[in-house]
Amino acid sequence: MFELMRSLTLDAAAGLATGEAVVPVEHPMLVDHFPGAPTLPGSWLIELAAQVAGPLAEEMIKHRHGLERWAMLGMIREAKFLRPSPLPATLHFTAEALRAEPSNVAIKVAVRNEKESVMRAELIMTMLAASTDWTEAIRARHERLARWRVAP
Amino acid sequence: MSISTTFESVAALVRETLALTDNEVISPQQLLFYDLGFTSMDMLDLLFRIEQKFSIAIPEGTLYQLARGDLDESRFTEDGVLTALGRERLMALLYDTPAPIFPARIHGATLPRYCTVGAIVRLVDHKLLERDRCSS
Repeated sequence: MFELMRSLTLDAAAGLATGEAVVPVEHPMLVDHFPGAPTLPGSWLIELAAQVAGPLAEEMIKHRHGLERWAMLGMIREAKFLRPSPLPATLHFTAEALRAEPSNVAIKVAVRNEKESVMRAELIMTMLAASTDWTEAIRARHERLARWRVAP
Repeated sequence: MSISTTFESVAALVRETLALTDNEVISPQQLLFYDLGFTSMDMLDLLFRIEQKFSIAIPEGTLYQLARGDLDESRFTEDGVLTALGRERLMALLYDTPAPIFPARIHGATLPRYCTVGAIVRLVDHKLLERDRCSS
């Protein structure tokens, strides 16, 4: 689902990030969701929110603690799906870190579509040190971020 | 806040963390990980709830710092594992945790897993006292 994210801005010092994702109506995984009324699944909103929160957490840990750690979604502390988001959808993400510890980062994420708020959530990103077999995943992550990041 | 009040509040937060009903008995002697089935994520969740409820901060490594006290880092741990003295300090701090629970090698990052509910109550009371001292 990384192909859905269009842009990402990160401010590690302030603990803030924004992102934009576009979900097309013809996405093959959403054919049955739902026939005649294509709707974005809540699980996709969470995944996309984590795609914004993860890099923010990684940059913050580097900035604040001087550590290279990689973020995985560890816990959804709260999530409110405020209203259905019909497809196609352009989604705007705003993420704000609530705390950043070496092993975990708590991030509040708000999501809007073109018209209104569709989700608010608090995600806990678990921060892991890389193991040797992560080289390819980390390379892909760097490529992805270079593509998404927008010059401030 | 009195110790008994703190206990009731912490017990309620433990129930919330584990999605238990109000009828489930939580006692100070219960070990979070061994008796109540906590995971590290549950522990994190409980600490977040405690921070919100009591308006205190419990940063990562708090238990480690409390156990270490004024002991030099090099005398407390070696390659991340508690030394004999470090182990003694931890066991004194967590005096209500049965000794057999502590493994032969205790990694410094795993200290919260040996806590009883009572130890968390003491930690909260300690932080409340610290907060009140700072504000007075």
